[in-house]
Amino acid sequence: MSYQLALQQLTDSALPTGAFAHSFGFETYIERELVFDEGSFGVWLSAFVSQSLSFSDGLAIRFLYEGVDVLELDALLSASLLPRQVREAIVKMGLRLLEIGGEIFPSPALGLYRDLVASGRAAGHQPLAFAVVARSLGVPLQEALTAYLFAAVTSLTQNAVRAIPLGQNAGQRLLRQAADDVAAAVERVPHLMLDDFGAVTPALEISQMRHERQRARMFMS
Amino acid sequence: MLRPHYLDDSGQVCYVVVNPGGAYLGADLFVLDVEVQDGADLLLTTQSATKVYRTPGSFAEQRMSVRLREGARLELMPDQLIVYREASYRQRMNVTLRPSSSLVMAEVVTPGWSPDGTAFRYEELRLRNEIQVETGGGSQLLALDNLLIRPPLGEVTGMGFMEGFSHLGSLIVVDRRVDQALADELHRITLEHDALAGISLTRSIAGTTGLVLRSLSNSTGEVNLLLRACTSVLRERWHGQEPLNLRKH
Repeated sequence: MSYQLALQQLTDSALPTGAFAHSFGFETYIERELVFDEGSFGVWLSAFVSQSLSFSDGLAIRFLYEGVDVLELDALLSASLLPRQVREAIVKMGLRLLEIGGEIFPSPALGLYRDLVASGRAAGHQPLAFAVVARSLGVPLQEALTAYLFAAVTSLTQNAVRAIPLGQNAGQRLLRQAADDVAAAVERVPHLMLDDFGAVTPALEISQMRHERQRARMFMS
Repeated sequence: MLRPHYLDDSGQVCYVVVNPGGAYLGADLFVLDVEVQDGADLLLTTQSATKVYRTPGSFAEQRMSVRLREGARLELMPDQLIVYREASYRQRMNVTLRPSSSLVMAEVVTPGWSPDGTAFRYEELRLRNEIQVETGGGSQLLALDNLLIRPPLGEVTGMGFMEGFSHLGSLIVVDRRVDQALADELHRITLEHDALAGISLTRSIAGTTGLVLRSLSNSTGEVNLLLRACTSVLRERWHGQEPLNLRKH
């Protein structure tokens, strides 16, 4: 279990990738007054885990583990993340993770992905940067998926606690509830097909697009 | 396919696809291949709505492949897609175009109505559009637009899914002239309509960019008005054409 501490460091919400700056569209729901308390944010978070995090991030991590070329997956993510701010957010955090990873967990596979990004051939998406590092550390797929998805919901919940705002205990209750959604997503991802990659439902995506034109906002996405 | 005709004097030829057999059923597979040659200008539409009926234990599928050559233009404006009770439908569109090509494609999806008057009893709807930009150095993926709606899983009214709306409208534009100013302009048009809409730009490849408009509404008329208002701006500005008027019988 030599990778345990490394995985904890990689998925710690203190890892400086800038996750605190992104709502991935829930801020639009706050403005529309559809997300306003613990329960309503929980509904959004559950939809986000079962959609975006499963069909984009989760599937990208799985395919990388199965040996699909990182360059191909990087292009698939750049093309399928249609809302511009979401695409930019994932790449911004991905570039930070590539940089941090290069300093603390260097490996030939990570070096290759960093080179592809440096030469402009790849964008540098967060789930791929994470998967490359986790795989090189010997983290099994299921554990990598679980840790990645739970780290994502942790950041989003912390952001919601500040933005809505919610109490700290409400944040913890939300995380406990989101853990079930994460477990369900980890179960589902291995059964998805290549055709499922990047699948979205309309409203989630529309809210991410509308965030570009929201006047008052505290998040970049 | 009906006899080609011209709707105006712009040189844009209009072809009308006749839906085979009136409706799609389980295990039906329809394959369409379209190629627009250098500098050619095509308007492609359908004779009537595409209907998908019950597909028990199976699904109906349409695969369309489109290739746009240098300077070619395609305006793809099909009638709405109606997905009835217990229907599963997969639509795949693969577009390969050049940086100099121009693509405008619209899509309206509506639920068929059940005998008990409720909408959204179809099983599953998958609409997948893949757009590749072809340059001297090979092809690169510009956009992968992959919608998946499964009403039986509660994905109708819930936040993040259809949010109680029944109609879905999408517009994809790929053209060298697509930029943020155009996205902002079309966004202002959406504000004048009774729909929840979002617009964003795709990545850029070899100087061409995609624009995606996604909207939710409660009537075919409203979605069509919105999409028509947006495509009219493009027709007028880029081609000096009047708003599209398809007189169908």
